[in-house]
Amino acid sequence: MNMLRSITADNPRSLVKPVFYTTIANLAGIIPFALLVEAARLIFNPFVHPDIPLDTARLWWVCGGLAASLVLLFVCEIPAYRAQYRDAYGAAANGRSRLAEHLRKLSLGYLNKRDPGDLANMITGDFAMLEHGISHLVPQMIGAVVMPVLALIGLSFLDWRLALSLFAAMPLAILLVFLTSGIQRKLGSQHMRAKIDAGGRLQEYLNGIRVIKAYNLTGERFVRLESSFRELMRQSIRLEGIVGPIVLSAIACIRGGLTLMVMAGVHLLLGGSLDVITFVAFLIIGTRIFDPLMTALAGYAELRYLEQAGGRIVQLLREPVMQGERLPPANHDVELKQVTFGYMDQQVLREVSLSMPAGSFTALVGPSGSGKSTILRLIARFYDPDKGTVIMGGEDIRAMDPEALLHKVSMVFQDVYLFQDTIAGNIRFGRKDATREEIEEAARLACCHDFILKLPQGYDTMVGEGGSTLSGGEKQRISIARAMLKNAPIILLDEATASLDPENEAEIQKAIDRLVRGRTVIVVAHRLKTVQHADRIVVMDHGQIVEQGRHDELLSSNGLYARLWSRQHSPQQPDIFPDHRP
Amino acid sequence: MTNKKGIARLLEIAGEKRGLMIVSGLLSSLSAICMLVPYASVYFILKELLEHAASPALADGAKMIRFGVIALLGFAVGLITMYAGGMASHIAAFRILYGLRIKLSGHIGKLPLGWLTGKSTGAVKKTLEHSVEKVETFIAHQLPDLVHVAVTTLLMIAVMFTLNVWLAIACIVPIVLGFAVQIALISGSVTKENLKRCYDSLERMNASAVQYVRGMPAVKVFGQTVQSFRQFHQDMIRYRDYGVKLTDQFQYGSLIFKVILGSLAAFILPVGVFLLSRDPGSVAFASVLLFFLVMAPGISAPMFKIMFLAETIRDINEGVERIDRILAEPHVPEPEHPSRPTSFDVTFDHVFFSYGSEHADTDALADISFTARQGEVTALVGPSGAGKSTIANLVPRFWNVNTGSIRIGDVDIREIATPDLMNTVAFVFQESFLFYDTVYNNIAVGRPDAPPEDVYAAAKAAQCHAFIEDLPLGYDTLIGEGGVYLSGGEEQRIAVARAILKNAPILVLDEATAFADPENEHEMQLALKTLMKNKTVIVIAHRLSTIRDAEQILVMDSGRIVERGRHEGLLSAGGLYGRMWNSYRQAAAWHMGKGEVDAEHEHAAQHYGG
Repeated sequence: MNMLRSITADNPRSLVKPVFYTTIANLAGIIPFALLVEAARLIFNPFVHPDIPLDTARLWWVCGGLAASLVLLFVCEIPAYRAQYRDAYGAAANGRSRLAEHLRKLSLGYLNKRDPGDLANMITGDFAMLEHGISHLVPQMIGAVVMPVLALIGLSFLDWRLALSLFAAMPLAILLVFLTSGIQRKLGSQHMRAKIDAGGRLQEYLNGIRVIKAYNLTGERFVRLESSFRELMRQSIRLEGIVGPIVLSAIACIRGGLTLMVMAGVHLLLGGSLDVITFVAFLIIGTRIFDPLMTALAGYAELRYLEQAGGRIVQLLREPVMQGERLPPANHDVELKQVTFGYMDQQVLREVSLSMPAGSFTALVGPSGSGKSTILRLIARFYDPDKGTVIMGGEDIRAMDPEALLHKVSMVFQDVYLFQDTIAGNIRFGRKDATREEIEEAARLACCHDFILKLPQGYDTMVGEGGSTLSGGEKQRISIARAMLKNAPIILLDEATASLDPENEAEIQKAIDRLVRGRTVIVVAHRLKTVQHADRIVVMDHGQIVEQGRHDELLSSNGLYARLWSRQHSPQQPDIFPDHRP
Repeated sequence: MTNKKGIARLLEIAGEKRGLMIVSGLLSSLSAICMLVPYASVYFILKELLEHAASPALADGAKMIRFGVIALLGFAVGLITMYAGGMASHIAAFRILYGLRIKLSGHIGKLPLGWLTGKSTGAVKKTLEHSVEKVETFIAHQLPDLVHVAVTTLLMIAVMFTLNVWLAIACIVPIVLGFAVQIALISGSVTKENLKRCYDSLERMNASAVQYVRGMPAVKVFGQTVQSFRQFHQDMIRYRDYGVKLTDQFQYGSLIFKVILGSLAAFILPVGVFLLSRDPGSVAFASVLLFFLVMAPGISAPMFKIMFLAETIRDINEGVERIDRILAEPHVPEPEHPSRPTSFDVTFDHVFFSYGSEHADTDALADISFTARQGEVTALVGPSGAGKSTIANLVPRFWNVNTGSIRIGDVDIREIATPDLMNTVAFVFQESFLFYDTVYNNIAVGRPDAPPEDVYAAAKAAQCHAFIEDLPLGYDTLIGEGGVYLSGGEEQRIAVARAILKNAPILVLDEATAFADPENEHEMQLALKTLMKNKTVIVIAHRLSTIRDAEQILVMDSGRIVERGRHEGLLSAGGLYGRMWNSYRQAAAWHMGKGEVDAEHEHAAQHYGG
């Protein structure tokens, strides 16, 4: 059942229709078979009873019946075909949109953690596989099991002794597959691990190619990649080599039933307690009855693979979505109360309490890894805290609709994502109903107007993947323009202007100054000078607030802030070359 | 590089493991023959029964049991040979897979860096994972299956024609008919059109899925997930509709094929009854007829296997094409008679360079000439996009220059073997890249044979020893993927430690302190100072103060060197450098304020402008 759940991406009902129609088609398939047995009986009859002539008329009737059964089969196969292939597209589309819809509601923190390529592949590739499984493989396999069972029942009426001998070895085969399923699963998951590892190493190789080249580690010399490929090869061969014999011996067991049946039949025939015609019928049926089972076993490995792919999807679907429906209140005081938070087992914040009244300017400073950026992420609800609460306007933000909450917040971070769209379209993301004038006004305020006009098609230039490339500073200014347009009361800022050239930097600074005017601002600052006029400077270290206050107060208290400040501003600061920074 | 395509190319790839493939082919043939034994045995039993039908007690029981056992044995041998053949082809396939992956990743390593940065790593990764696996499908499954089908079909046809020509024809005609219908449908022009549309919409859906997922965080931030979802949904529905249309078109063709092949008896029996009615008493013919009725499934069963061959082959072709597209990419040529530099001045001599063909009209670098001397610091400054990083990337030959030359000492870098060149130059890049490995190994990459003391010394020099000791497992702590994540500054210091350990005579620093926070920055500067002693240093800096005392400052704009000299000289010249210096001082003095910001900016500009 669990397996079915995985294969159908948590929607086993989608199997009902294809299984039903496939079973009908399979049942219809019994008719020509029965006719075939009847034909054999008629052909045999004159030889068994030499006094009775060949019943040609009846044989022609059988021929007619076969022809009619062709039509019947054809008719029965139509709904099966449609359920198998046609509806598969619909089922996959539904599954995809369910997954995409779910993805939309997951926390930003979770999405940032996952490899987007992997997620996209789940929506497309994995579903294509499931599509095949739901529509095709599973109905086929169910048919393959149902047919022999039906045959067993039917044949029992004909002669229970032969029927029994024909199926005698079956339990053995089932037992064999059942007993070894542990080994199979183990090998399967080892293989999967090797595969994931190889994928990870490959990603690393491609991402780090510059360093790898620089340190002479390309191709085979990059041992980690080579050995992960080798391990994958080893595991693949092992899986094939060990699971193969299990499946094949099961098939051999099942097929052995035919031999048993021949032995039993001959014995009974010679003993006189079996008539020739019945034996012939069993012989004909016995050679073919297991054909569907063979196909099914061949599909077994694929089914296991599907189970794993489907399992990943089910797991993703079970990932809890962000809760909360309330609209955020009109008051924008932000407060952290006893907030503890960690990524996996790495604790980042410990019992942090901090209040940021509406309209205030708060700066977070401190050594790297002290948890500054995490505070910004918690306020925007990328994650929910492990302990404690984040409060806006007196209410726990966990009760609020995450998207509505994000309407209240603008973020200007280091990594800017541009959509595959025009410049204007990208800025419009700030507010969907903005007019062209409003967009240009926002661009002007964010100091982008001039460089946008210099682009080949101005505001209509395509950017993002495959589009015109912009420099980091230009991207950042576009993101500020978006934020301008969005006009949210709270601004979260991650100051990272260090990698830009001076001219860009000055422009961005101007844009930021315009953006923060009159709003609640919370900024992670690296250069203390930037935030010396903040209403409050919060100094963090090792996930805790160690000091807070205004610039002068902090300087005079001679703590961590004072040390950081003097380090950044001492005249003998040992830069690469003696620095005379203003 | 070959220019073979499709199956021919696949066979060529498979040919790398010819021995295994031949063994697999032979075993598959043997297996095909053995698999027919049970059918034949049943036929012989039926014949025996027919002959003694009137008085079954006289039938040769031992003989029939023998055939029963033979059926099982034949089947068992068939299975064993099938397994052995399958293993042979699988081992061949997995080895080829491994070889292809190694070959591809090695090749990618030799390509100019621009190739990889020019496309998404996702696409390349997909080629190395999925496209390569399609080759496996062909070699491990399809090829043995084909052999199996061919042998079975030929053998059966031969036997059938020997037994009875008319029945044989009755059996083969519907098969041919079924295939004809199938082929006519697939190769029809409407079908081709629809197929293409279906594939296109699939591709579109895939692309839009990537965009949907990738953009999700940004879309969420702007509260527009519904719109974005709608767009993706549209592409999804379009694909579904084309898919449905296509299957509708195939419906009758494939059903006819399936029904006909599944009920060959319906064609054989009328012919058989007709012939039998003319010669009712013949045991020989009756048994032959029974043979045909029993054997018919033996010929049609394997045919179902190749029913989807056309589709899979199209899939495989596509995969092979992707692989070949990467392999066909020319790599950076290696010198035939490599030489090694003995002195380490770096000279650019009238270098012109552009990235790829799309940018043919705009040179990334135009007529760049300078010499960076050993023991001196040469700094590159200028607006973003001016070509500073390009210069840094040309020194290790990540790209080749279009015209002009770059020399280390007196040797053109194109005459230096890549490993030697890499050993001569050390880099600290803007974004530091750490491997999913221990901290120790990440540093040791700089010189894999370095003794532990040297690694620790390098870590100390790069100011990372202290924070490494604080990690849960110290130097043995895993970085990334379930291990520990380091801050940008810490990562960068590890990259510097690597470079220190490498101790190469030329050092290229690309915005090396960009992501360091104040605390780290101070330590980073100390580390770099140690690293730079007596080396040829080329540094790209945005914080102009850090390179004030450089022996040579090259000011770049739009791919050209527009000014050069030392700080004081450049300042007094009052050109681009002067302007940059002013805005730098203005930016450095900035502090976020609330209200009247623009006025404050003007003020600052005036203040520092003079």
